[in-house]
This record gives sequence, C-alpha cells and structure tokens, in this order.
Amino acid sequence: MTPAVSFDAVTIRLPTSDGGALTVATNLSLDIAEGHFVAIVGPSGCGKSTLLNLAAGLLFAPEGKVRIFGDELGGINQHAAYLFQQDALLPWRTIIDNVLLGPLIRGRSHAEAEPEARHWLQRVGLAGFEMQFPHQLSGGMRKRAALAQSWIVDPRILLMDEPFSALDVQTRQIMETELLGLWAETRKTVLFVTHDLEEAIALADEVVVLSARPARIKGVYPVDLPRPRDVAEIRMIPEFNTLYNKIWADLRVEVGAAAHG
Amino acid sequence: MADPVTVATATTRREAGRPVILAMQVGFFVLSMVGWELMSSTGLLDVFFFSKPSLIAVRMWDWLSSGFIYEHLFTTLIEALLAFIIGTVLGVIFGLTFARVRLLAAVFNPYIRVFNALPRVILAPIFLLWFGLGIASKVALGVTLVFMVVFFNTYQGIREVNPVLLNNVRMLQASQRQLLRYVYLPSAMTWIFSSLHTSIGFALVAAVVGEYLGSARGVGFVVAQAEGVFDTTGVFAGLILTSVVVLGIDLLIERLENYLLRWRPGG
Repeated sequence: MTPAVSFDAVTIRLPTSDGGALTVATNLSLDIAEGHFVAIVGPSGCGKSTLLNLAAGLLFAPEGKVRIFGDELGGINQHAAYLFQQDALLPWRTIIDNVLLGPLIRGRSHAEAEPEARHWLQRVGLAGFEMQFPHQLSGGMRKRAALAQSWIVDPRILLMDEPFSALDVQTRQIMETELLGLWAETRKTVLFVTHDLEEAIALADEVVVLSARPARIKGVYPVDLPRPRDVAEIRMIPEFNTLYNKIWADLRVEVGAAAHG
Repeated sequence: MADPVTVATATTRREAGRPVILAMQVGFFVLSMVGWELMSSTGLLDVFFFSKPSLIAVRMWDWLSSGFIYEHLFTTLIEALLAFIIGTVLGVIFGLTFARVRLLAAVFNPYIRVFNALPRVILAPIFLLWFGLGIASKVALGVTLVFMVVFFNTYQGIREVNPVLLNNVRMLQASQRQLLRYVYLPSAMTWIFSSLHTSIGFALVAAVVGEYLGSARGVGFVVAQAEGVFDTTGVFAGLILTSVVVLGIDLLIERLENYLLRWRPGG
C-alpha cells in the first residue's frame, strides 16, 4: 500500500540568525502508513517540527522528496490539516467564524457552512461558545476550537505539532482522550510531534525516535496497547511501562547528546 | 497569613470616585471661566486681545441661532471627511503593496522618510496654487497628512502578521487573495483603527489650516475673517467651536473603535 506520507532521503537545512544554514537532518527516510497514528519524539532541536512542516508543504527540502499518497509534494499539502503548538485561531473572528473558515475558503457559503461548524463545535464540547472571540476562551477551549477548525474540512492526514504542550496536565489528558475519540471514528493518518514520550506512547500506534542533530531515525517502535484507550489509565498498565523503559533507553542517549552537543 | 494592617491599607486606600472627579473637572472649568471673565471686566486683561467668556458665548449663540456657522462647519467637515477617506484608501493600497513587494519598499524607503520628515502643513501654499481656493486644496493637504499615518500603519500591520496565523490559513488551502482577505487585511485593520484618532485629527487640522490660508468658506475662513478685523471674540468662538466638534467626533470614533476591536483581549 502506498504510504500516506513518505520522506525519501530528505535533507533539512534551516537558516540561522547569522545568515548561514544549519543542517538539521541528512538523508532521512520515513514512511507513514495510511490510517496510522504515528508519534515522533526526539530531543529538542532535532527537527521534529521541521519534518512536520515538510509534510505540510510549508517548507521544502533542498534534497530528497516528500510524497503524499505517492505524489510528490510541490506546494501546500492538500490532504492535510495542521494543529499548531501556538494559538492559530484568527483573533478577530468569532469561534464559529474560525471553524467555518476552511469550508469558506473552499468556496462554500457562510450559510452553508454554518450548521456544519455548529455540529463540529458541539462535537468538541464548545456548543454555546459560537459567538465568543478566541481570547474569551481558555487555552484548552481554544485547542478544541482549533481541532474543530482542522477536522471540519475532513483531511486525510492530520499534522500535530505538540498541540497540547501549553496546557495544564489535567486539561491535556482530557484533550488527548478526546482526540483519540475523534480519531477512532475516522482513522485518519496522524503525525503527532511531541517531546513527551508518555504522551507519544499513550496516543500512538507507532513511536518514531529521532536522534540528536543531525537527525536520523533512531528507532521505530510499534505500540501494541489495546484501544480504545484512556490516556490516564493506560499509563498504569505494565506493558506501558515496559515499552516506556525500552524507548526511553534509546531516547535518553539522544537527549544527552543534544544537551551536551 | 497576610498582615491585617497591610490588607486594610490596601483596600481602604482612598481613590476619588467618578462623581468626585467629574465635580472637580466642572469646578475647574467654572473657576477658570469666572476668573477670565473677572480679569477681563476689571481691566486686568485687555478685552481687545483676550475678549471675555460671556462675549464668546453670545457670539457662538449668535452663529448657531442665526444659522451662519453651519455652512462653514459643513464645509470643513466635508473637507476633512474627503481627506480622511481618500487618504485612508491610498494609504492602505500603498502600504499593502509596499509590504508585499520588498523591492518597492527598498527602493522608495529614503524618499518616504524624507516625505515623512517634511512638515507637511508647509505644502498648503503649493496646494492652494495648484488646486485653487475651493475645497480641493484642503482635501489635498489632508490627504497627504492622513496618507502617511495610514500608510505606515498598514505597512507595519502587514509586515507583523503573526506567521502562525498565516500558516494556519495557508493549511486551510487559502489562495494568495484569500490570505489577503482573511489574514493580512484584518491584521492591518487593527493597526489602522488604532490610528483613527490621529488620522481624523490630521484631516481636520489640514482643513482648518487650508481654509485659514485661503478660502471663501469653512471654520478656518471664519477665524481668518475675524482676525482680519481684530475681532478676538470671533477668533476664540471659532477656536472653541472647532474643539467641540473635534471632541464630538473623537468620542464617536472611540465608540466605533471599541466595537470594531472588541475581539481584543481586555478591549
């Protein structure tokens, strides 16, 4: 089967503040199978987010290819939605106007898109907050709205860049569980970047560990934990711990290398 | 536990309430008017140069009740409004273009700086020569003032668009035109709205100054006429009338601004 996302020997270079270029990864290859929830972990600065931006088409690799369902990516990825780490709702649009922006951009009328947006807001538990502006909502609620905004366009691939890292622990676990709930209904392909190994194991089918710069694939670990999962409870089962220790043994070397290099 | 004494001082520290402040504000006004009136009546101030509040009030009442002033006020406001609209539209268009086309900004940067450094009121005589004594010369002057304010704010607004918002809307498959419509323009609008006070004020200044220098109508013309016959009362009446009108417009703008920028935190 054609992978949903395929990185084929990509090189990632980022411009530095002094005008040079920093090589973040060379010759990196990775396939993401369709319908899989894949978490990418690695030490900070190893290029996890950059990898996601490549898959989104927001960045381009100077060498190597990114393929989406077999087609080489030449612009913005048409099949993907992106959930950002930072707040990305338009602050001057109400919550419902933010959610229906995707359909609006795709040429639907405001009136057509509105019931659907209401439906999505209900699904993420934001019914009644349609006419609020983003700043009037809590951080967790803004994330819910952002989820609705990205899911309403029914993307085949979801790219998530540490989406819940700014939330407090409780809110975060609730959001993770809800994300899994939504995901279970549709089984979209998910690329989830995080620096939190527990979060990665709790959510994903597969955990990809990246090495310190220059990033290589250090290991790919299948997560054979039962679904549906409750992210708070799954941390208690022994298999979770075994897996955690196994991956952490790999990851800690890289985190150490990143911290000292 | 908090020290009860500190808590007490923190919560009972006296702050004058709104009615008290208002009473003091009115008191100050009454006191200064009465003082002025008395000084003028007793000859401490020369009435010829300083007039008297009572005379000014009577004059303003005359203007308003006879209907003499409305035509002039209307002219001034129309000039200011036209200058404001044209200046804003041009400022947005140019600000947008310069922010999106780096080469233009780079090439014209020194010229814009020079033009901005120029005290633009000095252009009034030139505009009078070019556009005559009618409203066109005043509008032209106002446009140059408003344009610069709006231009800089638009430019800044577009350049400082949050890249995350931009990427988010790009991921929703927005075209360049849609990015402009949904991200760039609203982002710039917040900057433009916050400069409304300045640009409307500038438009009115330009109108009055232009009229003062040469015209047959407008508040500036009325003031110039009064000055020509050493009618200090008329000059003051014109001045105060203009201030009141500007104040009224300012309050309206503040309301509009609060409404349009209601999405802002704490706004």
